[in-house]
Amino acid sequence: MDSMNNVQNIDMVGEGKQYIVIRIGAEQYGIDIQYVDNIVRQQRITRVPKAQPYFKGVINLRGEIIPVMSLRLKFELEADEYTNATRIIIIKMESQSAIGIIVDEVREVVTLYEDSIEKSTSADSNDVKAQYLSGVGKHEGGLISLLNIANVIVDKDGI
Amino acid sequence: MDVSQYLEIFIDETREHLQTLSDQLMVLEKEPENTDAINEIFRAAHSLKGMAGTMGYKRMQKLTHNMENVFQEIRSGNMTVQPELVDVLFRGLDALEAYLSNILESADEGEDDNEDIINILNDIVKKGTGGLEESSKPAPAEKKEEETPSTQSSESGGAKYSAITVSEYEKNTFQKAKEQNQNIFGITVYLQDTCILKAARAFLVFKALEDMGEVIKAVPNVQDIEDEKFDMDFSLVYFTKESLEKVKAAIENVSEVKEACIGPFDAKLDEPEEASQEPEKEKKKAAPKPKKPAKAAAQTEAASKNGAAANKQQKSTKPAVGRTVRVDIEKLDVLMNLVSELIIAKNGLVSNSTAEGESRESSINEQIEYLESVTTNLHESVMKVRMVPIESVFSRFPRMIRDLNKKLDKKMELHMSGEETELDRTVIDEIGDPLQHLLRNAADHGLESNEERVALGKPEIGNIWLDAYQDGNNVNIEVRDDGAGINIEKVRNKALERGTITPEQAAAMTDKEVIDLLFRPSFSTAETITDVSGRGVGLDVVKTKIEGLGGSIECKSVLGEGSSFIIRLPLTLAIIQALMVELGKEKYAIPLGSIQTIEDIPISDIKYVQTKEVINLRGNVIPLIRLDQLLDVETSGEEPESLTVVIVMKGDKQAGLVVDGLIGQQEIVIKSIGNYINCTKCIGGATILGDGEIALILEVNTLV
Repeated sequence: MDSMNNVQNIDMVGEGKQYIVIRIGAEQYGIDIQYVDNIVRQQRITRVPKAQPYFKGVINLRGEIIPVMSLRLKFELEADEYTNATRIIIIKMESQSAIGIIVDEVREVVTLYEDSIEKSTSADSNDVKAQYLSGVGKHEGGLISLLNIANVIVDKDGI
Repeated sequence: MDVSQYLEIFIDETREHLQTLSDQLMVLEKEPENTDAINEIFRAAHSLKGMAGTMGYKRMQKLTHNMENVFQEIRSGNMTVQPELVDVLFRGLDALEAYLSNILESADEGEDDNEDIINILNDIVKKGTGGLEESSKPAPAEKKEEETPSTQSSESGGAKYSAITVSEYEKNTFQKAKEQNQNIFGITVYLQDTCILKAARAFLVFKALEDMGEVIKAVPNVQDIEDEKFDMDFSLVYFTKESLEKVKAAIENVSEVKEACIGPFDAKLDEPEEASQEPEKEKKKAAPKPKKPAKAAAQTEAASKNGAAANKQQKSTKPAVGRTVRVDIEKLDVLMNLVSELIIAKNGLVSNSTAEGESRESSINEQIEYLESVTTNLHESVMKVRMVPIESVFSRFPRMIRDLNKKLDKKMELHMSGEETELDRTVIDEIGDPLQHLLRNAADHGLESNEERVALGKPEIGNIWLDAYQDGNNVNIEVRDDGAGINIEKVRNKALERGTITPEQAAAMTDKEVIDLLFRPSFSTAETITDVSGRGVGLDVVKTKIEGLGGSIECKSVLGEGSSFIIRLPLTLAIIQALMVELGKEKYAIPLGSIQTIEDIPISDIKYVQTKEVINLRGNVIPLIRLDQLLDVETSGEEPESLTVVIVMKGDKQAGLVVDGLIGQQEIVIKSIGNYINCTKCIGGATILGDGEIALILEVNTLV
């Protein structure tokens, strides 16, 4: 994890990083674009019995079977309501298999510079929710919670 | 010399040779006089030495060389095979295997010289041959023999240039040169035997000469010299105004040139044509002939060198070696054929899509049927390519049992059958360790000591059987021994002692359930921990591994008569036949391999045993599993009058899976659902159906 942060830091020197801005409920979140493999429309999800509750199931993405999780359920919000704007973001971390996350809406891609990002300060490691965030970015007057994707997709409770 | 492109072949062949060596050594140990075996061993050792040498693995070569010396002595009857000798030779084989595994990992043989083994080998040779030290070096002599032709030719052939013949056109240039007062020299350049970049050296010689004059003709021709298609020498005809000494000095200035023979070249120039014709012909015949074999050899060598050089840049950075499967060329031909048929089928569909009218529909169906048969065949053939005989795993066990023989001081024999049974490559790769474990168990715990056996009235030598055979869609591998068997009471008490089970449980457990305790983590009944086994990390690991391969393991044992472990493995992993069933609105696949029958059971036939639903099917009491409840499927809630029950089995155990409906049999491709989703032990994977929908595959092994 440390080494990954270092790499990110090097990237950030001078130029900004691009984030995909998504909406879940009323909040805006940002996902580092380098981890985003694909964005697909809401499609038929096959339920997987006995899975963790926030896993909605699996989808067939061009012959690949990809598990899909609901960020709403993971963040302990009310269940998803699928609308025309609902999207599944396919996340591909290095050396891990792909995973999809359901979001209410994909808004835009923004470039954030280091000086407009406030690092997450929560040192309380017990606060699971705080671990999902790596910081808060300010963009055109709005706030974007930047997701620490690695922590989001790893199942802390399961281990 | 870069030979990395041959690394894969080298590793494959080395494995084969090592296996032959090990097999034949075992034969030799039993029958010290078996000449076939010793010949075979000698051949394998010799090829191994040669290959290691070619690949530049000097340590490996040295060790094999010393082993070969021993074999040579045995072969020529100067020595007899003694148990100590075989032990040392086996140690040598182990060392060679260690080299090989180093090479596999890093393309480097490692640093270990294994001097001790070499010394022991040499001592044995000295002792065995009674101090006949001259004869203890037969192999080097042989090596020299190989080299002699080339050295001979360079010594005898002194001034080879005199054999150069000249064409009519060239003669004219000779005349002109004479008129211009130029010296005509014949030159033969010998390179040092150790010279590696022959072409480069030759180029430097040419360059040096061209500064002072003109090279008219070269034998072999310039192109061949550039391509290194020559032995250690080449001959030239050269015009220059400089003196003979100066030219000679210039050539010998080039490094790695051993010698330059130089002299005036005029032999055939002034002779009348008729006369010159004949000796020329003779020379033509005579000259190239003796050279040919050497040249051919040099050519192949040079060719391989060239290839290697070309590949140097891309290959040298890639140290590790990929896994390979040797495929029968016939299988590939079949594949090729099927692929072309596939293309034809596709073309048929394409042309059909443009066709019009009624005929269109019927012929589309025809095309689809055709396509179906092609894909089925294709699947079968691809599977066949992936199949490897289990022999490749079994072959290392005789050696292992032999070592255990010595280590445990128990006499035992291993009987193997069904080595030709084929399994998927991935299974083959994984199955070795579990089998090894089971065999060690059988040897250490299973078999009694020889004295005990005699006391019990059993044959002194213990027997271990390793059998593989195909059984429907599965392959069974059985590890059996005629030892003491499992003492059920001992296991039961041990489990109680450890708190694995409660006294009540212990009392209620059947013998079979007690045996199953052995597969629990950290459970070993061995009183003492030996080097070989008994650490309690064993059967549970074996079980996990085999279940990971989609197989199952079970154990049968009769006290006093022995025990057997039966491993069931699916033939293939990637594509299986499955029964598609419906549960509510969801579709699931049940692997056909584990399905026994499908029954229609009226509700009234359901009985209860300990509040669990069971059915009595033709005398067997089978527990029912309500899949909809187990998998939290939403159901209509209405109980139909009869249930569709799929009877599945795992080993001897049966269970009835209640489903809502049957869809049919289908060939499905198994895909992993990834490692993010936990708690889905009952799901073995997923597959994509024809309409793009996903169906989950039920893991029958964990359900039952």
